[in-house]
Amino acid sequence: MMFIVRQVALKADGSEIVRQTEVAGEEIFIGRNASNGVHLPDLAVNPVHAKMVRRGGELIVTAESAQPFDVDGRSVESTTIDVARGAELRFGGHIIALGTEGDAITLTVRRVEAVSDSAEDKDEAAIYSLKGLLPGKRMSAWGFALLVLIACLAWPVYTWSSYKDLAYKEKISRPAGFHADTMWSSGKLSLAHKTLKNDCQSCHVDAFVSVRDNACMTCHQKDAGPHAPMARQLDARGDPTGFAAFTRFVAASFNKPAGRCVECHTEHEGAGAMEPTQQRFCAECHDGMDTRLTDTKLGNAADFGKAHPQFQAAVLVRPLVGDDAKAPRKRISLDKRPKENNGLKFPHDMHLSKTNGVAQMGRRLSAKYGFGDALECKDCHEPDKNNVGFVEVDMEKSCAMCHSLAFDKIGDTYRTLRHGQPEQVKADLRAFYRSTPPARPINLGSLARQRPGVVNSRRTAADYARAVNFRGGRADQAIRQVFSRGGACYDCHVVVPPSGSGRLDFRIAPVAQTSRYMEKGWFTHDAHDKEECTSCHLAEKSSDASDLLLPGIKDCRTCHVGETGASLIKVKKPVESTCAMCHDYHADKGAPWLLREQDKKKKRPEITASMAHPGGAAARLRR
Amino acid sequence: MASQAQTAAPAVRKKTTGRQRNSMHDGFLRHKNFRWMKIATVLSITCLVSYFLVDVQPRHNGGSWYGYTLGTIGALLILWLTCLGLRKRAITPGGWSLKAWTSAHVYLGLSLIVIGTLHTGFQLGWNVHTLAWSLMMIVIISGIVGIYFYATLPDNLSSNRADSDGAVTEKMMIEQLRSLDRQLHDAGQPLDPSQAALVQASLEQDPFAGNFIQRITNSYSGCETRAAIAELRRMRAYQPRMGDDPLDKVDGLLQRKESTLARLRKHLQIKALLQVWLYVHVPMTFALLAALSAHIFSVFFYW
Repeated sequence: MMFIVRQVALKADGSEIVRQTEVAGEEIFIGRNASNGVHLPDLAVNPVHAKMVRRGGELIVTAESAQPFDVDGRSVESTTIDVARGAELRFGGHIIALGTEGDAITLTVRRVEAVSDSAEDKDEAAIYSLKGLLPGKRMSAWGFALLVLIACLAWPVYTWSSYKDLAYKEKISRPAGFHADTMWSSGKLSLAHKTLKNDCQSCHVDAFVSVRDNACMTCHQKDAGPHAPMARQLDARGDPTGFAAFTRFVAASFNKPAGRCVECHTEHEGAGAMEPTQQRFCAECHDGMDTRLTDTKLGNAADFGKAHPQFQAAVLVRPLVGDDAKAPRKRISLDKRPKENNGLKFPHDMHLSKTNGVAQMGRRLSAKYGFGDALECKDCHEPDKNNVGFVEVDMEKSCAMCHSLAFDKIGDTYRTLRHGQPEQVKADLRAFYRSTPPARPINLGSLARQRPGVVNSRRTAADYARAVNFRGGRADQAIRQVFSRGGACYDCHVVVPPSGSGRLDFRIAPVAQTSRYMEKGWFTHDAHDKEECTSCHLAEKSSDASDLLLPGIKDCRTCHVGETGASLIKVKKPVESTCAMCHDYHADKGAPWLLREQDKKKKRPEITASMAHPGGAAARLRR
Repeated sequence: MASQAQTAAPAVRKKTTGRQRNSMHDGFLRHKNFRWMKIATVLSITCLVSYFLVDVQPRHNGGSWYGYTLGTIGALLILWLTCLGLRKRAITPGGWSLKAWTSAHVYLGLSLIVIGTLHTGFQLGWNVHTLAWSLMMIVIISGIVGIYFYATLPDNLSSNRADSDGAVTEKMMIEQLRSLDRQLHDAGQPLDPSQAALVQASLEQDPFAGNFIQRITNSYSGCETRAAIAELRRMRAYQPRMGDDPLDKVDGLLQRKESTLARLRKHLQIKALLQVWLYVHVPMTFALLAALSAHIFSVFFYW
């Protein structure tokens, strides 16, 4: 019996060297020790790893220690092999193929694993680099790029397309929650628009089309009053020159037409309130506008301190009965010293005099009405609720303090003529004369017999009888008197004479008190309450109610200078006044936006159109 | 890949002392006496000054004419800077100097910090526009890190490889290991199974194994070679010295293997540092191109 051990080694060129040893006997040992029949120079193999014993046609292999070995790929500690069929054993990095050759058993030993890991083939380009340790550059480049494109481009476009139908609908907005196109927002919206922050499409309606005015007008139909037709505004602005012409050209080529709301109302500039319009934006058109807009009636304006036309007061041409808002008004420059027909006679100078009878009467009544040494403006003129302008002077409250309409006294009670109702006045006078007898003469005797020759007594009785008879006719005379020169009505009112002689259809001409003359600009008395009334309104020198006691721009310029401090005269404490202090681009009857914002900050009520001058441009008619 | 990076890594001027001064070679940083640094500086200062001179209402932003101008310059610059990846792969003759191109890439890339940031008007937020800006900054900063590594690390790389017999190449490093492994394998033959297992573990461990963190920090806690040294020394600490102990030889070999491994690992660390910034720089560049496209697209889409 014999074992033939063939050790196969590889040469550098790949060819094999086979060394053969023969071991006689029934058994053979396998292990790392050189004394073993099968010597495996392998550190993974035990010095004496296994014993192989031949029993007839079988071969019994048993591990000598607890360390197993592989038979045909299965790990075992002992196995019995049919010699005729052969097998493949594996110890560490070596394989032993079993076979027979005649009577002998052959053990072909091969090393199949490299001595060490480093001995194996290495791709040197790869192992010295970071390859395999980090995600590849190419892969992550494409990955990140794709991720960004999907998240920041495709997704927002998808969001936009799914809510396209909500355009131009004020009441409907996109549902709450995250919308991908908000990723495109370049900054916070202004305070006024902060509720739209989740609804990009309320302004950005069509793809690749710049924000257009109709989107703005979806919500701002009411409060964005038109300034002037856009075509005229563009004419007034004139064609840009130089660099401005270039930027306009670029903007136009990129589908950004001029004259859109968003040109002034820029958005995504941070969560603040909009800045008031700067003077230069107004001056862009209004400075030298008559050269570009030749048919304009507006004066050129560029700076309040230096270049602003005289104010044009909307003067009442004549008051109307009924709706005074429709009374004809004409805007006349204060330089032309316009007169106003308001239907009243009222000399301011007489009433403000400190020395005349009016002052004396005021002093007498001072205990009752709190007058001072003479009458003052505030004794008759009462500021309105917001201290912007003044409520109309009320005859019963103000004039009647002195100008009594009393005509009769019963006990301690005075009967007065009714103000504002001429027909009632006539009726009351008639009733008075009808219901009261003439004063009874003291020497009117009784009906007893009289001594003959007492002529006077009889004459008195006859006179009295005649007086009683004609008592009713005295009423006509009284009516004529009250409506004529020296009468109570005539003193203050323009009286329309009767239609024919002998008739009594006197009428009072309509009266109006204008509460606002500057309809295109804003003025509030509240801001000027440190001033005396008479420092602006020259009432003390006015002897006629038709005098317009409005101060001109010259008076304003004693304090107010342009936005940048420009002025024609030297101003001690200049108040820098931008256009927006008095004017709004989207003007309504209320305070300008700049002042309303100031009021907001001071937590005061904003003066909106409905709050300012509740009576409208013209005061209610007082008949 | 590794050898490519090796050649691509531009040589930085060697530190020399005294009269031994080598001025033949100019690195890409000092190319043509800092020509591109000067150009980039002029560009940046022009942008900065004009930023303060140009009055944009209500405040500077990317949507003004000035913002669009800076944005266009920035976007074109980014596209051109990206082209370095194409340029370095195209071997062209003549005046198309790759060094000049790299120099311009570095300095114009740095000036993009000024151009891009002024384009934002310092209005940053959680949006695609700021994403593009942030990616741009990440790319630029990773580039700065790369330049810093390129300027400082090659010296370390050389000194680490220097040997008494001259420089050790990468091929030699692995051959040294292979040789040591073979010797260890032979020397380990007489060992008993438990000792042999320790040596075997050292042999079987891949010297290039280890994750990214281990490689970049050069800290390999699971090193089997070191473990084998320690354990074998512990085992024979109280054994009598017989003079012919095979463990003596094994121990010596393991120590040599360990020092060879240390050099290899240091080498790997430096090479990793030289490469790692590109793993940020390149993918982030492509993410930036995507974000830039989304940024420009979104501006025109919601015009």
